[in-house]
Amino acid sequence: MDKETVVSVETVSKKYCKSLKRSMYYGAIDIGRNIFGLSSRSEKLRKDEFWALNDISFELKRGETLGIVGPNGSGKTTLLKLLNGIFWPDKGKVTVKGRIGALIELGTGFHPLLTGRDNVYINAAILGMTRKEVDEKFDEIIKFADIGDFIDTPVKFYSSGMFVRLGFAVAVHCDPNILLVDEVLAVGDIEFQNKCLSKISEIQENATIIIISHNMNTIKLICDRCLFLYKGNQIDLGNVSDTLNAYSKTTFNISDSKRYRSDHIEIDVLDENHFNTNNLIVNKTYHFTFAVKRLFVNRGLLISFSFLNLTNSYSHRIEVTKFSNITKMIDNVSFSISFKHLTLPPGEYTIRIAISDGDFLKRIFYLERTILFSVVEAEDSKFLNYAIS
Amino acid sequence: MQEIITTYEPDNCLKNGYLSVFGQIFFELKRNRWLTYQLFKRDFSSSYKQSFLGVLWAIIFPLFTIAIFIGLSRSGILNIGDIGVPYSMYALLGMTFWQFFSTGLVACSNSLVNASPMILKTNFSKKSLVIAAAGKAVVPFMLQIMMVCTLFVGYGRAPSILGLLVPAFIIPLVLFTIGLGFFTSLFNGVMRDIGNIISILLTFLMLFTPVLYARPKMGILATLTEYNPLYYLVSTPRDLVLKGLIPEWKGFLIVCFVSVFLFIGSLFVFHLTETKVTERI
Repeated sequence: MDKETVVSVETVSKKYCKSLKRSMYYGAIDIGRNIFGLSSRSEKLRKDEFWALNDISFELKRGETLGIVGPNGSGKTTLLKLLNGIFWPDKGKVTVKGRIGALIELGTGFHPLLTGRDNVYINAAILGMTRKEVDEKFDEIIKFADIGDFIDTPVKFYSSGMFVRLGFAVAVHCDPNILLVDEVLAVGDIEFQNKCLSKISEIQENATIIIISHNMNTIKLICDRCLFLYKGNQIDLGNVSDTLNAYSKTTFNISDSKRYRSDHIEIDVLDENHFNTNNLIVNKTYHFTFAVKRLFVNRGLLISFSFLNLTNSYSHRIEVTKFSNITKMIDNVSFSISFKHLTLPPGEYTIRIAISDGDFLKRIFYLERTILFSVVEAEDSKFLNYAIS
Repeated sequence: MQEIITTYEPDNCLKNGYLSVFGQIFFELKRNRWLTYQLFKRDFSSSYKQSFLGVLWAIIFPLFTIAIFIGLSRSGILNIGDIGVPYSMYALLGMTFWQFFSTGLVACSNSLVNASPMILKTNFSKKSLVIAAAGKAVVPFMLQIMMVCTLFVGYGRAPSILGLLVPAFIIPLVLFTIGLGFFTSLFNGVMRDIGNIISILLTFLMLFTPVLYARPKMGILATLTEYNPLYYLVSTPRDLVLKGLIPEWKGFLIVCFVSVFLFIGSLFVFHLTETKVTERI
């Protein structure tokens, strides 16, 4: 391992067992073998076992930040646990240099009946701080958590936000060389999330950070590289935007479902020349057509639809009252809504649509996920101007 | 600051060699003294918080048991045997040491399971967790010692001056309790049955060990007592306080060795298997 490398993961695999009873049985056998100095032969799969992580390799240098993305159950947290040494790999080798701070769960070991003050000491000890360190940093921790008088109240009476604040405050003050963060920031309010992000940026100068997040903006904001895991396999590792693209492409598989058809509605996106498309460019003209079949409206047709970013980072709802004078059986009627300059932020989108009768609350038809399309920045983006003076 | 390089591989300990394990264990225990203390403090200060009687609960059980035994012996059902001191003193002192073992063992056995959410989210010394759990037995022990003192005053008797050596003479008891606790915590981590078995077993063991009655002179129980390490661990400090002598020093010495070996052996096994248990907990 060269001097600047801080984390090295070499062809690491980890297996889990699906059956509880078998897991007990295997556990007893493994322990027995270990006691007698026999290898646990962990590289072989037994019945009901599967690879939760399969052949993962990467290296991180000092100061580098790696984001890990992937759907639930793809092995992200398991990977962090291997790096933290909570579990040991069944194949391969994990090497880490220096002190590890793990934010896999905030407030580990907080006892509900004890006060925040007591819990800071316990939590800090669990995270590997010495008594001297805690004494020195105590005031700083309290200040960062910013929970006021509640520090002397039993933790059981804390709001979930306060709990997380205190937990995060302790965890980031143990000066880790390597910081592992597992989607723990989501509970705090916006202000606290920003505070956490800026604290992480501060730590970034000297520490290596590995962060799991489902928030693509967080990943884009703080990561240098990104690892995409899927069902335990390393699908992609590289620069952030390429990996995130690969992630959303794989997960949402855009090419397969260009158009969605249902019994009552068909949606198409047409470009300015009225050709079907699902690759939209910012600032160009597009027509969204909704072909409605066999729907009966009594009191007036109302259409509402939302553009929804597939990473849940953006949504925009539009309510159309223009057709409210229509009260009849609608069959094979196309409604067209045009955007002269499309202004959706780049990304992958779907449309969610509802058709109501007279009142937006009275929905008669509703569809979650219809067509999928992507929006990209125009080649010659007009927003950017560089100048030097 | 020197940065420590840590490597995780399958069968880590085997690759590094058996003997290096002892060094690792020693440094881990040394490094985590403060953590152990914090975990002990956490257990201690939280366990009596949301309760009216608080720490008094720790002495209610032994007092009940002694009361039952007094009742049984008064009614002639049970023959307590020749003890030479007021029975309540004999019984309470015996219960004090016995309770240290049983409370400690139960706490150790459940330590890993109770802390499983913690263990699965953070990497810290699990040995500290087990040792700190044994600390749960300390406070009831102190309370009972205080009650024993009250009894001495009440009966107008003086304990033997050698009673001051009790702290040294309970070291084997402590090592025995924690040693056994390391094993049971591991097995309980994998199979919850162990925890249940232990609670049942402890009740039986107390009845089969001369804690609340004198050592029987003949019969199966006499033979069993001869080979019961717990008897020596309980009766030796008791004799020291009451009579100022150690009548069964040979047996006690053997049990001392057994306790030390058990403690070291269990630490060794625990060290080799703790991560495997974490996965199954």
